[in-house]
Amino acid sequence: MILLATEDPTRTHSWIWPEGYEIYFGGAASIFVFALLFKLAGPTLKKGMSDRTARIQKQLDDAANAMSSAQAEAIRIREAKGDIGSERARLLAEADTQAQQLLVDGRARLEVEIVDLETKAVADNVAASGRIGDELRAEVARLSIAAVDHVVSGSLDAATHQELIENFIVRVGAGR
Amino acid sequence: MTDQRIDGYARALFEIARAEGTLDTVEDELYRFARALEGSEALRNSLTDEQIPASRRQSIVEDLVGGSASPTTVQLVSMVVGSGRGRDLPAIVDSLVARASSAKNLELAEVRTAVPLTGEQESRLAAALAAATGKSVNLKVVVDPSVIGGVVATIGDTVIDGSVRSRIEQLKSRL
Repeated sequence: MILLATEDPTRTHSWIWPEGYEIYFGGAASIFVFALLFKLAGPTLKKGMSDRTARIQKQLDDAANAMSSAQAEAIRIREAKGDIGSERARLLAEADTQAQQLLVDGRARLEVEIVDLETKAVADNVAASGRIGDELRAEVARLSIAAVDHVVSGSLDAATHQELIENFIVRVGAGR
Repeated sequence: MTDQRIDGYARALFEIARAEGTLDTVEDELYRFARALEGSEALRNSLTDEQIPASRRQSIVEDLVGGSASPTTVQLVSMVVGSGRGRDLPAIVDSLVARASSAKNLELAEVRTAVPLTGEQESRLAAALAAATGKSVNLKVVVDPSVIGGVVATIGDTVIDGSVRSRIEQLKSRL
């Protein structure tokens, strides 16, 4: 009691270690708590870890599947790209062929049209020449007739009239 | 005007002229007047215009032919024109002449000349046409300046063309 009474309750035996009984009781309590935790929370924790492992594995599998699909799609796209290239080449070749054919046909048609136009132009020229000639002849004839009409009418005197009438009578009387 | 009405007028004119004893003269004068009417649009318009009173149209006829035609001819033309049938006068006269020719057993011969024929020429021409066609002809002479010269004779469907106009037409065709 004296000893106890002499000790200062506000001071510890060591500046780092607690009191001995605190270590004993504390250690036992810790062991108990850890044992209790191991007993009660261990299965849950273990299951949680297993689930997490399974989830991660599933994610890894999904990623692998996605990668496989992506690789397959990449292959398909590469193939399609190859097809597009060949189709493009085929279309270009076909277009070239058609363009060439169009060019040939167009040249042939133009040549035919040029020949037709030349023929028509020649025919029109001939027709125009003929028409102008006809018109000229008709005009000359008209002027000639007018001149003859004028000259004959002016030159028919009474004696000529009588001579024409007498000639007609004689000719008709003689049996035409 | 219907053919029946034209024939009716022609028959009436024919009977009047025959009753008057001037059929040849009237027929000849009417024929000349009808041809003159056909050739003159102004005269035709004057004698057929319904806006002009009948008396005025009749006085035009009398002024026009009164001095050169027989009174019977003048009266007959005046009657036709006064009755509003001036437009049909050529057809009426043609029918009259056909009727007169038929009555005299003659074939109508229309002769067109640029100048008038003398009586002696008409006789010789009638004889020549009769000789050429084998028919006696009722000669009707029409002075037609468009003939220019010579003679054109039409007997039925036969045309004997000795005119200067036809020669010019032939020359025109050749040209």
